[in-house]
Amino acid sequence: MLNRNKTSRRQILKAALGGAALSVAPGLLKYAKGAASDFKIGLFIPLSGPAALFGPSAKNCGELAIDVVNKSGGVLGRQAKLYIADAGVPPAEAAKSAMRLMLSEKVDLMVGNHDSAVRQAIVGAVKGKVPYVYSPVYEGGECSPNVFMLGETPQQQLKPTIPYFAKTKGVKNYYLIGNDYVWPRITNKLAKQYISAAGGNVVGEQYIPFGPANKFESAVTRIKSAKPDLVVITLVGGDNVNFNRTFAEFGLHKNITRVASLLEENTLMGIGAASSSNLYSSMAYFANIDSTENKAFVSSYKAKFGAKAAVLNTLAESNYAGITFGSALVNKAGSTNASKLAATAEGFTINTPTGSVTMRNRHTDKNMFLAECMGTQFSVAKVFNNVASGQTCT
Amino acid sequence: MGSFLGRSVILLVGLFTLPTLFGDFWAYQLGLYFLYSIAALGIGICWGQAGFLPLGQAMFLGIGAYLSGFSLIHFHDSAWLFLLLPSAAIAPGLLAFFFGLLIFRGRVESGPYFALITLALSLLTFQVATSWVEVTGGFNGLGGIPGLPGIAGFKALYYVIATVLTISVCGVAWLVKSPIGVIWRGIAENEPRLTFFGYDTPLLKALAFGISGLLGGIAGVFYAPHQGLVTPNLAGFILSAELLIWTAVGGRKTLMGPVIGAILVGSLTAELRDVVPVWELMIAGLFICVVLFMPKGIAGWPEQLFRRIFSHSRQEEKVTLAARGILTAPKLELSGCSLSLGSVGILDNLSFQIDEPGIYCLIGPNGAGKTSTFNAITGAVYIQSGTIQLDGERMSGLLPNNVALRGLGRKFQVPSIFPNLTIAENLLVAVWGGRCSLKDLFSYKPLNWSSTIITDLREKFPFLNQDENSANELSHGEKQVLELAMSLLGEPRLLLLDEPCAGLSPEETEKVIETVHWVRSTFDTTIMVIEHDMALVKDIADQVIVMHQGQVLTIGSVQDVQKDIRVKEVYVGVSI
Amino acid sequence: MDPIALTIALNVVYEVTTLFVIVLGLAIVFGLLRVMNLAHGEFIMIGAYSAYFCQDQGWPYITAIPFALIIAAVVGYLIEFTLIRHLYKRPFDTLLVTWGLSILLRELIELVYGKGFQSLSNPIPGSVNILGEPYPSYRALVMVIAVVSAIVLWAWYRRSLTGARVKAMVENTELAQAVGIRVDRLARHTFVVGTCFGALAGVMLAPLTRVEPFMGLDYILTSFFVLVVGGIGTLLGLTAGAGVIGGVQSVVANLFGETSGYFGVLLIAILFLWLKPNGLVSRS
Repeated sequence: MLNRNKTSRRQILKAALGGAALSVAPGLLKYAKGAASDFKIGLFIPLSGPAALFGPSAKNCGELAIDVVNKSGGVLGRQAKLYIADAGVPPAEAAKSAMRLMLSEKVDLMVGNHDSAVRQAIVGAVKGKVPYVYSPVYEGGECSPNVFMLGETPQQQLKPTIPYFAKTKGVKNYYLIGNDYVWPRITNKLAKQYISAAGGNVVGEQYIPFGPANKFESAVTRIKSAKPDLVVITLVGGDNVNFNRTFAEFGLHKNITRVASLLEENTLMGIGAASSSNLYSSMAYFANIDSTENKAFVSSYKAKFGAKAAVLNTLAESNYAGITFGSALVNKAGSTNASKLAATAEGFTINTPTGSVTMRNRHTDKNMFLAECMGTQFSVAKVFNNVASGQTCT
Repeated sequence: MGSFLGRSVILLVGLFTLPTLFGDFWAYQLGLYFLYSIAALGIGICWGQAGFLPLGQAMFLGIGAYLSGFSLIHFHDSAWLFLLLPSAAIAPGLLAFFFGLLIFRGRVESGPYFALITLALSLLTFQVATSWVEVTGGFNGLGGIPGLPGIAGFKALYYVIATVLTISVCGVAWLVKSPIGVIWRGIAENEPRLTFFGYDTPLLKALAFGISGLLGGIAGVFYAPHQGLVTPNLAGFILSAELLIWTAVGGRKTLMGPVIGAILVGSLTAELRDVVPVWELMIAGLFICVVLFMPKGIAGWPEQLFRRIFSHSRQEEKVTLAARGILTAPKLELSGCSLSLGSVGILDNLSFQIDEPGIYCLIGPNGAGKTSTFNAITGAVYIQSGTIQLDGERMSGLLPNNVALRGLGRKFQVPSIFPNLTIAENLLVAVWGGRCSLKDLFSYKPLNWSSTIITDLREKFPFLNQDENSANELSHGEKQVLELAMSLLGEPRLLLLDEPCAGLSPEETEKVIETVHWVRSTFDTTIMVIEHDMALVKDIADQVIVMHQGQVLTIGSVQDVQKDIRVKEVYVGVSI
Repeated sequence: MDPIALTIALNVVYEVTTLFVIVLGLAIVFGLLRVMNLAHGEFIMIGAYSAYFCQDQGWPYITAIPFALIIAAVVGYLIEFTLIRHLYKRPFDTLLVTWGLSILLRELIELVYGKGFQSLSNPIPGSVNILGEPYPSYRALVMVIAVVSAIVLWAWYRRSLTGARVKAMVENTELAQAVGIRVDRLARHTFVVGTCFGALAGVMLAPLTRVEPFMGLDYILTSFFVLVVGGIGTLLGLTAGAGVIGGVQSVVANLFGETSGYFGVLLIAILFLWLKPNGLVSRS
């Protein structure tokens, strides 16, 4: 090798420059840290992945909530500021985002709207160091310290609903289909209890992998051969859309009723009017619920985001509730200290667009709505008042 | 050796200072990417060194992580962990080794099929991890994994991981520099040639794959306590793909390339992915450029620097191996050998015998089957009927490396060497074949071997002294001579030369013929030579075997053959 | 006929025929040109997004076909001209470069449409009665189109002059060049035809699946498995591969669930890769 000395000097220089760049890079990345006096709220919403269709409305509701909170004086006298992270990524990635929010952005409160796998990853990473409000529908059972659940539980969704169908439609045979992860599995476990209490039979149970773009011809065919009266659906997002469309295209909707545990406005639009007859949804919020609080909520949403904004739904509304609830709780407790928050939380009541909710055992008792799909609109068929969450966390 | 250790300490100290420089979050982030870079080192060995592409590297990370997580959950605070955790790292390595053996012994070339198999296996692992809910926790993964005993929190774990990274880099540096590294690079360039030197290349590739699995497993073992959660995505396609891209962009052929790629590109992607929307686009473009134009990646230039840090000086004693002297004369017997490809007959009931040492020239018109005869003898092709025996032992059906180990050497018609290895390395590869046990390949000692044959050949052909030059800088004639030299270094009892003077100038030809005579007289080797030039045949042949249409036409001395009318007829138009 | 058995049978036919259409583009590019085009799934994605675009604009669904074809042709031409054409003799590098390309294309779509998925409405909703049982109309149409195109393609390849030229180029490139066939142009056109078929598959399948940037991944993996099992280079091999993989996937899924179906496909692919890598119908 001839120019040994020259080459090595050049390379040392390159390596030094590289090292300098590397050391400066993290400094450059301390962007958008915001003023130290802000009350920082980290918000996890699904921007990618199977639940991404809930993303835009969730983001809007988050921003709306921050406005509302700041208009009434902020949190602990400080202005609230939103930091958004993608919860549609694999759980391990979400955990890393949580670590970043905690260590780098130093958020004071986290609010999350995502599936349980991501929740468990985040809770495992944060380990209670920052209060965490988990707002969407879920399977129950979360009791980690400094975590507060607002969403519908299977008890709330199915305990009143199944006897309702047994009574009004004479349903005897039930088929359970859901994505293959913890929420559908626990929901179905509880569903079976309610079904046998109502005198019914489970004629089939199916789990669809969570992730790949699934085809539902075989799933629908298996349901067809089982001949149920009612299908209880715990599919999510794109799978929910495709399943319901395939179901109707195979003609099964004529004789078989469906009730879904996570069917909101966006999913219904995807399903389409041709496939939505005889389809019900059991949730704590629908955008067209006829109450003064909801009407005010919807009009302030439309005022801020326009008439063509992403459609309101229960998950997005839960984001709104999560931030307003979390801020109110911190304000009442006077700090973000975990034990103070826990003490204040029990029995804490706030008003939401669907009425008042009360926190017990870090879960919320609330009103539940069973809606029938008319074309691409929901029409509330039955209201169940102040349904208990059925959760115990000592 | 001392300098080796000293330089690794420098790396270690450097890594240790990073958390104080960059803060808590980077201690967490870098810890994770150090682990990924350990797994990426494995890709560097398979792809950068040995030349086959593992598309499923993450599967070993995942397996190691699940085993580690499971052990930590069920056996935490128990002494069993001292056994279980290392096993969690070794298990994927063993799995990889056995898979490698299975796959490589099935087909000779690695090719893209190996890549697809590893991809399918990684998908299978992902699917098993997702479906086997009772053990792996299913899609949600295995959560609540406690930390390593005595090490609380990711900050303390950072230092452990940095140490493990340094040790892994040292280990890989050792391998890359040692004889097995040279052989791996030879496999990447010209695997079939290596088999003719006696190397069991499937085994060596399986070893590389096994080591990459071990590296993945090591990364996985520390991943579980660091993250506290192991999900099926850790074993899946997307992470495998990312590891591959980081390795490529970092520079797969360099030692630190995979590490730099994983740490720099990986962590920057994690940071900038949401901030700079075109970041992933740029990385994809960079990846394409790297594949096409810069196999050394971004670490290519600093690599010289690092190689200085990790290389060891070769000022050690050269060990000159003495030649084995006069060898037992081989008895080669071919009887009734036939071979056809489709409807084209290549060898047709070919039979002849060689009982005594000497130089036998194999001649015949084009298409007579001369090279095919060599192929059949060395095991490059399998005859469909008939037998080939060496010293009474059946050779037909043996793999080329087993044939070579029985004392056969071969020189190919088109020079078949290792262009990107140095001349010294080319010669060493030939010397090691048949002499080096597997254990020897991991020690540095064979790097200093030489042979009296090399010494003699260097006198005849001075260009062989240019140790450090890359072999593809040689002229065609020099490459021919280099390959001839290499074929001699195994000290074969039976040497097959396929047109050794093809494309040589008259002076070069004279030297080669002189060398052939020298080999014959010094070692009493039996030599078979395929030649077209009758003047050369007259010069060297003791006996001439004339072939025609896959059969032996006649055998005899040069004069006998010259007088034979049948031979003249076969060579219509060529004056003898 | 037992309605369930009939439905299952129709599902299997649907699976096999759609798989045929999905893999066709790759069969052309990999089978004839030996280019391992890992971006094949992204061309299907391009077709699907083209269809989404057309539907979003309010145009009738049929307009998606020429629209997707134009885009796929342009992109395919560019790719072949700038990158692939240098790599015909380097299978490893084509694998890696096309993979980098797939990421590139995915990121481009993500920049324009975001990561979330789009839902297309079914151009032909409702069901038709097949032997007395309702079956989704659009799926039935897809099956018919797939079978018809297979027959047409087969007939064309056997009879036409271009088909003969392509065969010559594949068998013996130097000889084909010597006879005056413009091999480089023919290769380029063949590549573009392959990418166009990919986009067409995307247009056909878009209403039936999630349209999102990552949709190509599933298709590419399954496509390679089909080709490995069936054998590359012949339409018969493609049909055999689609039959085996599609059949196994569908039958197992109908009986035991989607996950088992997926396992079945993976295991068969691994076995073939290991033991019979030339597939069922090898071209010798």
